[in-house]
Amino acid sequence: MWPVIVLLTGPVLAGLLSLVIHRARVLHVVNFATMLALAVAETALTRQVLAEGSVTTLGGFVYVDALSDFILVIITAIGLSCSLYMWSYMDDRVARGVIAPKRLGHFFFLFHMFLLAMVAATVANSLGVQWVALEGTTLATTFLIAFFRRRESLEAGWKYLILCSVGIALALFGVVLTYYSSVRVLGDASSALNMTALIGVANQLDPNVLKLAFIFMLVGYGTKVGLVPMHTWLPDAYSEAPAPIAAMLAGVLETVAVYTVLRSKALVDQALPPEFTGNLLLTFGLLSFIVASLFILIQHNYKRLFAYSSIEHMGLAMIGFGVGGMIGTFGGLFHLLNHAVAKALAFFVAGNIHRRFDTLEIDGVRGLARAQPITAVAILVAGCALVGLPPFSPFVSELLVVSAVAAQDFSSDTMHVGRFVTMTISDEMRSLGIVALFLFFAVVLFGGFMFRVGAMVWGTPPAGVARGESWTAGHVPLMIMIVALLGLGFVLPEPIQTLLTRAVNVIVVR
Amino acid sequence: MPASTQLGSQLVDLCSVLLLLCCFAIVAQRRLSACVDLFALQSAFLAATAALVAFLTGHKHIYFAAALTIVIKVIVLPRILRKVIERLNVSRELGMNINIPAGLLICGALVIIAFFITQPIIPLGYLLTRDSLAIALAIILIGFFTMIARQKAITQMVGFLVMENGVFLGATAAAYGMPLIVELGVFFDVLVAGLIVGIYTHRLQDTFDSVDTSTLTVLKE
Repeated sequence: MWPVIVLLTGPVLAGLLSLVIHRARVLHVVNFATMLALAVAETALTRQVLAEGSVTTLGGFVYVDALSDFILVIITAIGLSCSLYMWSYMDDRVARGVIAPKRLGHFFFLFHMFLLAMVAATVANSLGVQWVALEGTTLATTFLIAFFRRRESLEAGWKYLILCSVGIALALFGVVLTYYSSVRVLGDASSALNMTALIGVANQLDPNVLKLAFIFMLVGYGTKVGLVPMHTWLPDAYSEAPAPIAAMLAGVLETVAVYTVLRSKALVDQALPPEFTGNLLLTFGLLSFIVASLFILIQHNYKRLFAYSSIEHMGLAMIGFGVGGMIGTFGGLFHLLNHAVAKALAFFVAGNIHRRFDTLEIDGVRGLARAQPITAVAILVAGCALVGLPPFSPFVSELLVVSAVAAQDFSSDTMHVGRFVTMTISDEMRSLGIVALFLFFAVVLFGGFMFRVGAMVWGTPPAGVARGESWTAGHVPLMIMIVALLGLGFVLPEPIQTLLTRAVNVIVVR
Repeated sequence: MPASTQLGSQLVDLCSVLLLLCCFAIVAQRRLSACVDLFALQSAFLAATAALVAFLTGHKHIYFAAALTIVIKVIVLPRILRKVIERLNVSRELGMNINIPAGLLICGALVIIAFFITQPIIPLGYLLTRDSLAIALAIILIGFFTMIARQKAITQMVGFLVMENGVFLGATAAAYGMPLIVELGVFFDVLVAGLIVGIYTHRLQDTFDSVDTSTLTVLKE
C-alpha cells in the first residue's frame, strides 16, 4: 500500500513546497529527491505486482496490474532523468534572463501537478477518475508549454488547451456510454466504472453501446496521443515547450494516453471480436505513420522534426496493438518504452543545441561535432534509434511489430486498409502489402530524418558559437539513456520481460 | 407505463429539448455577452433536468450534482467569462468562419445525425429518460461545431462548456448520474479550465492586442 501512497502524495508535497521555496538550489534538491522517492516506491510496487499479480488498494480506488505498472516504470524513469536535466537547463534559462528567478517555483509546481495527474491516470481503477486525471494533465501542461510567454508559445499553449479539451470531452461521452451499458448489468453502483468490476462482466455488456463508446474514447484519447488527423496541436506544443517539458510530453504523456486507449480496448475486446478495435487502431496507426513520415521530409525546425517522429512512433505502436496477438502487442508495449527513452534523449539534446546555437532552425545549426561533442554523440544515437537502426532497442520492437503484421492473416471482410492497399483477393498478399507500405515509408523516414540530423552534426560551426562542452548534471541522463538504448537492444532484463509478458496478457483476450 | 412515469418522462424530455434550444440560440447569437447568458440559462435547465431525474427516481446524489451545476455553471463560470468580456472591450463577433443561417442548417443536420447514431442503443435505456441520450449527443456535436465556427477565444470556451453540458445531460438522463467522485472531478476540471481560459485571454490580449484566435497563425507548416 505504501508505494502507491508515496507515488500519489510525493508530487503533491513537492508541488506545494515549490510554491514556498525561493532558492533555486533547494528547489532542484526537492525536485530530485521527490523523483528519487517515486522511483524507489515504483520499484517496490513492481516487486509487489510481480509477486501478487495485481494490487487493489485505498478502498478500491487504486488498481495496479502489470500493464499500469509498466507505464509507471516509464513515468518514473523518464521523470527522474528529467529532474537531473532540468537542474542545468532551468538554471541556464534563469541565468540568461529568459525567465524571472521567482517563476522557477511556479515551473516546478506545475511540473509536479503534471506528474501527479499522470500517475493518477495510470493507477486509477475507475474509468471516470482516469478521465478526470487525463484532463488534469492538459490543464497542468498548458502553462508549461506557454512558459516562456513568447507569442508562439502562447499560441501553442492555447491550441493545445482547446484541441485536447475538446478531444477529451468526446472521450468523456465514451466513458458515459460505457457507464450506460454497465449500470444495466452491475446495478446502480458507484463501482460500475471500476475496471476490476467491469472486466468480470464485460461479456454481458451491450456490444452496440461498447462499439460507440470505444469510437468516442479512441478519438478523444487519440487526440492526446497525437494520432493523425487529431495531431495538429502536437508539433506546435513540442517545439514551443521548454526542452524538459517536451521530453515529458513526448516520452511520458503520450504513453499514458496510449495506456488509456489500451484499457478501453481490453474492455471492449471482451464483448466484441478483437478485429473491431484492432482494425480501428491499425487504420489510425498506419495513417499516422504515413502522414508523419511525409511531414518529416519538409521540416526545418529540429524540435518539430522530433515531434513528427513522435507521431510516427505512436502510429507504429498502434499498428502493433491493432494487429494484436502476443507478438504485436508485446512489440507495441516494448516500443512505448524504447520510444520514451529515445525521444526524451532527443529533446534533451534539442535543449542543449538550442542553448548553444540560439536557434531552432536546422539550417542555423552546423558543426555540432565540434561545438558540442557529447551532445553530437547523443543526437547521433537518438537519431539512429528513432529511425530504427540496429543495434538500438527501437529496432527490436519495430521488427516485432513488422513480423506481427506479416504473420497476421486478416479476415477478408474486415480488412479495409489491406484491401485499399493491395487490391487483391489473397490474404497473404494483403498483409504483405501492409508490410511493403510500412517499409517504404520507413525508408522515406530514414532518409528524411538522418539527412537533417547529419546536416546538424557535421561541418563547421557558425561564427560566434563557442566550441567545446564541459560536463554538467544535465549530461548524466544523456549517458544513461544512451546505455539504456544500446543495452535494451541486446538484453531485456528478466523483471521487465516478465512485466511485459503479463501486461500483454492483460490486453490480449483469448 | 403508469401515468406518473409517463408524465415524468415527458417533463425530462421537455427539459432536454430546452437545453437543445439554447444551443441553437447560441449558434444564432453574435453578441458575446448574450452567448454567455445563454450558456448560463442552458446550465440552469440542466440543473432542472438533474433535479427532476433525482426527484422521479429517488437517487439523492443527483441533487448534489444539480446544486453543483447551479453554483459552478450558472453562477461562477458565467461571472468569470463576463469579467473577461468587460476587460477586453469586445462585445460582438464580427468575423465568423461560417455565417449564421448556414450554421443553423448544419446544426439541424447534426441533430439528425445524433438521433441516427444513437438509434441502435436507445432501447437499452431507462424508460424515463431514453430520448435524452440522443439529445445529449446532439448538444455535444453542436458545441463542437461552435468551437470550429467561431473565432473569439470566449465563444470557443462557451462551445467547450456546451459540450460538457451535453455530456452531463447524457450521464444524468441516460444513466442516472455518474459515480459521485467522477462528477466532482469533472466539475473541478471544468472550473479550472474556465480559470485558465480567463488567464489566457488576458495574456493573448497583452501579446496580440486581440482575443481573436484567427490572429494565432505564427505556427504552421
